[in-house]
Amino acid sequence: MHPFALSRADDPATAVAIQTRDPGLAFIAGGTDLIGLMKDRAALPERLLDINHLPGMSYIEARADGGLRIGALARMSDVAASLAVRERFPLIAEALLFAASGQLRNMASIGGNIMQRTRCAYFRDEDDLPCNKRRPGSGCSARHGLNRNHAIFGWSDACVATNPSDLAVALAALDAQVIVRGRTGERSIPITEFHRLPGDTPERDNALDRGDLIVAVDVAARREARASHYLKVRDRQSFEFALVSAAAGIAIDGRSIASARLALGGVAHKPWRLRAAETALRGVSLDDRDALRSAIAASFAEARALAHNAFKIELAQRVVVRALQVAGERT
Amino acid sequence: MSAIGQPISRTDGSLKVTGRARYTGDIRVSGAVHAALVQSTIASGRIASIDTSAAEEAGVLGVFSYRNLPRMNPTPKPWSHLHPHGQGYLPLQDDKIHYAGQPIAMVVASKLDQAVQAATLIKVHYEVAQPVVFDADTTRAAIDPPQFLWPVASSVGDADKGIAAAAVKIAETYATPDRHHNQMEPHATTAMWDADGSLTLYDTTQHLYGARELIAMVLGIPVDKITIMCEFLGGGFGGKAYVWPHTLLAILAAKAVRRPVRLQLTRAQMYSMVGHQAATIQTIALGADNGGKLTGIRHESISPAPVFDNYIEYAALSSRSLWAASGGIATNHKIVHVNRNTPTAMRSPHEALGHFALESAMDELAYATGIDPIELRLVNDTATDPHSGRPFSTRAMRKCLIEGAARFGWESRSPTPRSMREGRHLISEGTAAEIYTHWRWPAKARVTINGDGSALVETGSHDLGTGTYTVMRQVAADTLGVAPEKVTVRLGDTRLPPSHASIGSATMANAGASVLLAAESARDKAIRLALTGRDAPFTRGQGADIRVAEGTLTLAHSNVSISYGDLLARNGLPNLVAEADYDPVPEHEGPKAIFSFSAVFAEVRVDPELGIVRLNRFVGAYDAGRIINPKTARSQAIGGIIWGVGQVLLEQSETDPTLGRFLNRNYSGYLVPTNADIPELDILFVGDFDEEASPLGAKGLGELTAVSVAPAIANAVFHATGKRIRRLPISLEKLM
Ligand SMILES: Cc1cc2nc3c(=O)[nH]c(=O)nc-3n(C[C@H](O)[C@H](O)[C@H](O)COP(=O)(O)OP(=O)(O)OC[C@H]3O[C@@H](n4cnc5c(N)ncnc54)[C@H](O)[C@@H]3O)c2cc1C
Ligand code: SF4
Repeated sequence: MHPFALSRADDPATAVAIQTRDPGLAFIAGGTDLIGLMKDRAALPERLLDINHLPGMSYIEARADGGLRIGALARMSDVAASLAVRERFPLIAEALLFAASGQLRNMASIGGNIMQRTRCAYFRDEDDLPCNKRRPGSGCSARHGLNRNHAIFGWSDACVATNPSDLAVALAALDAQVIVRGRTGERSIPITEFHRLPGDTPERDNALDRGDLIVAVDVAARREARASHYLKVRDRQSFEFALVSAAAGIAIDGRSIASARLALGGVAHKPWRLRAAETALRGVSLDDRDALRSAIAASFAEARALAHNAFKIELAQRVVVRALQVAGERT
Repeated sequence: MSAIGQPISRTDGSLKVTGRARYTGDIRVSGAVHAALVQSTIASGRIASIDTSAAEEAGVLGVFSYRNLPRMNPTPKPWSHLHPHGQGYLPLQDDKIHYAGQPIAMVVASKLDQAVQAATLIKVHYEVAQPVVFDADTTRAAIDPPQFLWPVASSVGDADKGIAAAAVKIAETYATPDRHHNQMEPHATTAMWDADGSLTLYDTTQHLYGARELIAMVLGIPVDKITIMCEFLGGGFGGKAYVWPHTLLAILAAKAVRRPVRLQLTRAQMYSMVGHQAATIQTIALGADNGGKLTGIRHESISPAPVFDNYIEYAALSSRSLWAASGGIATNHKIVHVNRNTPTAMRSPHEALGHFALESAMDELAYATGIDPIELRLVNDTATDPHSGRPFSTRAMRKCLIEGAARFGWESRSPTPRSMREGRHLISEGTAAEIYTHWRWPAKARVTINGDGSALVETGSHDLGTGTYTVMRQVAADTLGVAPEKVTVRLGDTRLPPSHASIGSATMANAGASVLLAAESARDKAIRLALTGRDAPFTRGQGADIRVAEGTLTLAHSNVSISYGDLLARNGLPNLVAEADYDPVPEHEGPKAIFSFSAVFAEVRVDPELGIVRLNRFVGAYDAGRIINPKTARSQAIGGIIWGVGQVLLEQSETDPTLGRFLNRNYSGYLVPTNADIPELDILFVGDFDEEASPLGAKGLGELTAVSVAPAIANAVFHATGKRIRRLPISLEKLM
């Protein structure tokens, strides 16, 4: 394995300062993604800064206003088990529980989860295959290669990868905020703007700059949060990333949808909000499958299939219908 | 009480769960250094230049490429189980590149991470050629390969005429993908040379003696100078039965650096440094009369092989013997030379591929004729092997079908597709039958009865995780008349009496027979001593009158008895040693055709909207002859079924068409079933003692259990959805 030096950060300000100065340094939290990337030589940091001991970053705070604030170092398993999370935001608990495995969730942090890099097999191959995300300018092997698992929304010829985080999809549906501490102090980035589309610079996954440390995720109370569901479709029953997933939350008026929040996973370089569908769903009855389908279709005009993933366009729409129906059963 | 037939827990279980079982890669050898490999990143071409200077300057012990690695002898031809090379093209011998992941350089250093890091410093420039991959275009150029296991083609009667005249015909194409064994334990070799030129290896092998022969031939070392050990194997599945390039490289590296060298493959390297199961494209045609009786079977298969070897997946093999067909049966195999490493046997080689086509086609025939799938198979059952014309030694196919169906509750099935529902899900049931080749191979063993009444079994067989230590103990215990706890079993060392490869589910029947015979011989020696030795306790009677139980010999109709210990002491002997040489005629030269059989039943649940298939329950009824240990046998069956679930629903090693390489080279990308994918599995053994198969009465089991899981589930999927999936795996987009 690629050699590296390991040191430990004891306060956030120093962590931010050290990384700002040092382009060869990476933060390490649970290490469940970063170590894998290093073994595959898709990340070659010379120095690792262990942020696990940063004080006051592992909390799960159920706020009096019904919202939630989760420290970036809280572990996926703890957040999934939290009563407040399960009651107020069932879709967050589900997104976490359907992710990875028990052992991984015990290690993996919330900050690390939304930072995890794509599972594109070309990107992760030990052999440094043509991949613009890994080596800018080297080409995109997946664009005309094996791309069953790749994007149907928002891709560019430079990169057709998807973001693998389940949690981020649930957070996107809820319009959560990512709280970041950087060179100039703390700022808040909407999760829907946190991850980027690939464009011509797929090597950049997200909006963070050097030195930026995620300190928390903030989820405001939403009236669509209780009747919510995270539905993940994957090739096997457990321990696998989503082919397509949907986070759905609704507010109901009788049997019809008063308002809806919808985001898809496994379909784009970022969690994919279905805003047009959300609008079209207002007033639609949960029992009217055809009406649900045509409302959802409003967001799929812009879907573009690759050679091996056309099925995802249909699958994603069926997944959304199912997620809405299950959410509806929870009202 | 007899130990054979008891569900005894495996004797090495606690060693394994407490981490004390010594697996090859974990054995620490003092002074051992580490080798790391550099592999070709292209699939075809040649090495234009290779710059190893930076690696050499990194404080390593040696850097090797085709420029300085000693030349090896060519692998022997024709290929044989007696000197089994995995691959005919040997590593680091020339500048050619024939496949992606081909080893092209090796670094040896004191520490593993140092070797791995130095390997990244080697700079290679290639002359790149366009790789040839296995696809619709290249299969058109398929050729007739030379024979290497069974005859490539077969024809009995006139299959085409039988099909042409049939009232009902099925003609379809089925495809199975490339797959990798992905054993939990990675392949590893630690090689040590002594000053006198003798070589000792710790090696992950299912075939100690074959490996020794092959290494001796290729590296020009006298066979008697080589010792190979493998006490435990963390899964073989055929993938560790042959000698692969890394073993040869470790041996040569150890010689060059004059230190023991350990080389363990990484997970990604296991996709190209060792074998895999090659994809197949199979065409099958069946003809039958209106009563479902087969009038003809034609089954042909095409599979990829590397440019330098002629490996054949014998997918059409099973069609030669599973069902009778009045008109005739014809089979054939072709290969396409492409840029890849050599495929190899993978549980269950040949059979599990062919049965997917044949037993799916039988289900298609059941629907075409309107005959129940079980009835259809009963109608085509046969007591004579259609291929060789010999009677089957035992064939409990009927029992498998009828008892399995009863256990499963088949009669309540509604045959119409999409007719059984549960909420959002379609529920369905499918079945398939199986036949699996039985091997008769020579094996030797030694059994020692000690003065303290304990016994030692020694044979150069292997425990792949299957329970060999346990079942050999049972066989010896019963034969010697001692408690199983008194028997110690030693396996996995070429200094022991030679045995055969632990492949083809042959170990119980053959290595087991050698242990049986050696134990009988040791016991008979004791009986002779008791009759004719010093102060012989038994003054009348003969061998047949003497019973042995609980370590004591007793003369019939008397109360005279003596323990093994006292008998040895009385004769001034420290122990009694007996060896046995089990040397059966090969199966195909015997008077009877020997095969294992089964019928399996799957209930699946399909979410038709999302295309998701999950297994609800599974029943397998197996005729593997006499079952020596129902617990380890059941474990084999469970493992085989799960293996089959992977085959039908998940597994495939995809090749990038441009780069010509396997992608997803790890457990994250290559999906195998998780516990959540597997429901309760119900296992029945319905076979009887088969004296032709083995003096123990046992036939092969392990591979049998993975043979027809795929068609049973695929047939259930058809029953659920009305969709016939003829290309594995059954991923959800095929059902949406
Ligand atoms: C086999 C496997 C299966 C998986 N399956 C799933 C799945 O189904 N769904 C899913 O969502 N995820 C899945 N994951 C991913 C897993 O959830 C992530 O690896 C994990 O959440 C990362 O968290 P970590 O703390 O280990 O991050 P690390 O590996 O420590 O870090 C990951 C990245 O985040 C950066 N980072 C970490 N914390 C911060 C911070 N506070 N501020 C700024 N940067 C930070 C690091 O520098 C690094 O670049 C799987 C992972 C594996 C290995
Ligand atoms: S899709 Fe993106 S990550 Fe994958 S090969 Fe193309 S550029 Fe690389």
